[in-house]
Amino acid sequence: MDLFIQTIVNGIIQSGFYALASIGLVLVFGVMRVVNFAHGELVMVGAYTVWLVHAQHGAPYLFTVVLAIILVTGIGLVMERFLFRPMMNDPLGGLICSIGVLFILQVIATYVGGEGPSKQVPPPFEGTMVIMDSIRIPYQRLFSICVSAAALVTLWYFLTRSTLGWAVRAVSMDREAAALQGISTVRISMVAIGVGAAMAGLAGALMAPLTNINPHMGHNVIITAFIVTIVGGIGSLPGAVIAAVLYALFHTFVTTYFSGTIATISGLLIMVLVLIVRPTGIMGHRVSE
Amino acid sequence: MAILEVKKLTKRFGGLIAVNDVSFSVDEGEIHGLIGPNGAGKSTTFKVIAGFLAPSSGDIVFRNTSIKGRKPFRIAKDGVVRTFQETTLFQELSVFENVLIGVHKEAKTDVFSAVLGLDRKRQVRASMDANQVIEFIGLSERKDQLAVELPLGFQRVLAIAVALASKPSLLLMDEPFAGMNPEETRHMMELTRKVRESGVTIVLVEHNMKAVMGLCDRLTVLNFGTVLADGTPEQVQNNPDVIQAYLGGA
Amino acid sequence: MNASVYRTAVLIAGLLIGLTILPHFLKYHQQDFLIFLTINILVVVSYRLVTLTGEWSLIHAVMMGVGAYTSALLSKNFDISFWITLPLAGVAAGTMAALLSYPLFRMTQFYFLIGSFATGEAIRLCWIQFIKPFGGTGGISAIPSPELLDIDFLEPIPYFYLVLIIVTICVFLLYRIEKSRIGLTLHAVHWKGVLAESVGVNTWNYRALAFIVGSLFVGIAGALKVHYIGTVAPKQFDIGFMVFILIWVIVGGYRTFYGAMLGAVVLSVLDEFLREVNQLRPAIYGITLIFFILYLSGGLERLPQKIGSIFRMRKQGNT
Repeated sequence: MDLFIQTIVNGIIQSGFYALASIGLVLVFGVMRVVNFAHGELVMVGAYTVWLVHAQHGAPYLFTVVLAIILVTGIGLVMERFLFRPMMNDPLGGLICSIGVLFILQVIATYVGGEGPSKQVPPPFEGTMVIMDSIRIPYQRLFSICVSAAALVTLWYFLTRSTLGWAVRAVSMDREAAALQGISTVRISMVAIGVGAAMAGLAGALMAPLTNINPHMGHNVIITAFIVTIVGGIGSLPGAVIAAVLYALFHTFVTTYFSGTIATISGLLIMVLVLIVRPTGIMGHRVSE
Repeated sequence: MAILEVKKLTKRFGGLIAVNDVSFSVDEGEIHGLIGPNGAGKSTTFKVIAGFLAPSSGDIVFRNTSIKGRKPFRIAKDGVVRTFQETTLFQELSVFENVLIGVHKEAKTDVFSAVLGLDRKRQVRASMDANQVIEFIGLSERKDQLAVELPLGFQRVLAIAVALASKPSLLLMDEPFAGMNPEETRHMMELTRKVRESGVTIVLVEHNMKAVMGLCDRLTVLNFGTVLADGTPEQVQNNPDVIQAYLGGA
Repeated sequence: MNASVYRTAVLIAGLLIGLTILPHFLKYHQQDFLIFLTINILVVVSYRLVTLTGEWSLIHAVMMGVGAYTSALLSKNFDISFWITLPLAGVAAGTMAALLSYPLFRMTQFYFLIGSFATGEAIRLCWIQFIKPFGGTGGISAIPSPELLDIDFLEPIPYFYLVLIIVTICVFLLYRIEKSRIGLTLHAVHWKGVLAESVGVNTWNYRALAFIVGSLFVGIAGALKVHYIGTVAPKQFDIGFMVFILIWVIVGGYRTFYGAMLGAVVLSVLDEFLREVNQLRPAIYGITLIFFILYLSGGLERLPQKIGSIFRMRKQGNT
């Protein structure tokens, strides 16, 4: 029973990462109709920033979290300006460009961190909260789920209450109609990728003390993000958050009771099933082809 | 003898009823017009017959067999072939290759025959068929031009050639005269008659009243998704409902 | 026979003769490289068949793995001769593709891309998860090499000849398919699916056909590869390798039959020269990829045309 409750707690904590890491993929696809394959690498860059500046050079952790967000947002904006914008009418071209970026970022990471074993960042928040003598939550994890939740709430507030957020949603629902209404799709694309990349950077920075950091860590991130995006419904942010929570719980349970690989295999199969039965996902609307 | 019977056809999109309880029949060998103002449900009816949309209820009977719910390629194999409203062609291929693709039923092959060249006779015959259609339709001189290089009028003609190459017994033409000048319209009318004389029954959806009146043996007039009138062009022209709803309004 | 057919025949004959004597002038590791390059040509050409319908699948590398694992397991566990497991590798990959075509081809475009990626990754993770019989992350090693007369297929040169013969046959077959009625129909399915459908083409069937046949040939390529290196592991068929296939096709060009081959050859040779800067290799690939997409979207096959048009523009400028 304790293991069961502990697993639920772990799953919920995990869901914060999943949601943060996926939201950028959802936003960018929704607004720009481009699958950003380098999205996992954006998370990786966030984690590397923390490793390099905090763990190696002793800068304060919170400072490096902010730094990671700024750096990754910058990378996102550069990708938008120089790759996705020229490729606006060619979704496959955008995707392939993002694969190019993926390679480049991986090489930079290898160059910065050197080859060899994965890097570890000692948790800045030490200690563990113990509830009812059995449920253990390390403070680092508590911190990250709180920050994730705060970030998501802020994002939700931005998208539903601000004019800019409204425009983002309008473009992701119908690009042409939004353009006809005088919304600048270029500007909205920049907002979407900026916000998405910022979330990815944050996810990476939060993950850094809790995971193995290596140039290829983006691979698992992108698979998770794909599953969450598809199951939640392409272009649907509430769908993505719900899917992130469900998938995080599912993945944590299967990992605890069986194995991580089986968890991922089942996740992928669920995703394929959703693609077959209901390509719009649990909350999404069909993207015109 | 009816070749096509549309029986109590209804098509809903969500709450909207685009086609409501429409019935009409097409006799073998005639040119049958399906007309009506914009949004009358002509195109929807047309798409449902060709299998590009599934009907909500009702039936479509071709040569005494229901073809309702079959996929477009199945319906094409059965002998009901449509043309497209917009100029839908294989733009990067030549006129000849476009028509050759139309000769699908006879030229279809499997991997083994293709690799070993066992289907050679069949392919030669398919080329001959394609050439025949091109000659029939009057595109021989432009045979090797790319589709994209043809003027609009000829692209329309080519679209019909592609459809004819698949040897339909019923040809569904979607607004063949749209955007044509009088010269091109006259040419297309002659061609349509010629196709009918070769033994193909034709249903055409059209806005151009002059062409329709001069060409069709019988007309079905749709308005707001229902059948308003049915009969010869004269009967339809003198039908007060039609004058009220359509001709008078225009 | 007209002149251009004659010229092509001479060119191909020359190429084959050149390839036959080439390995004797190469160092040991370069002979290895030549074997892999030849196998990769079969990989891209079979991938081309799949892409002819306009669908960019991300499962081709895994299909290669299906063939490789099939051949490795059969020859190692059941002592079946390479000459039988090689075609069986193709059959296995083709069968797998046939099964997968039911779920996969209910999707198109973006959905198909992601769906094929997910399915492939699931299969690959199964090789990692189920240590029996697949051997987990380490895979299967000590895969027997082919046996024929007294030829030592552990040596690169004899194995290269074997690969050259099989790949030439396979590429020729794929060429025949593309130039046949089937190729024309695939083109039709790609560019105007609705029009093809309206003249009686079952587009679903043709998409599945291209996928199955393409997978069959890449399965053979997979078997050829692992019987030479002696080991098979999930890593060999990951998304990284899939991306290389994509890059070859994009850099080479996908309008002509030879474009993809050209891409594979040019980039693999380039890759050989980059051995010294091993760490940087993926980045150079990445930059090349972006450059081609942005500035030379037709691929290498379009290069002569592009240069030609620049020249013409110059000339017009002068007069």
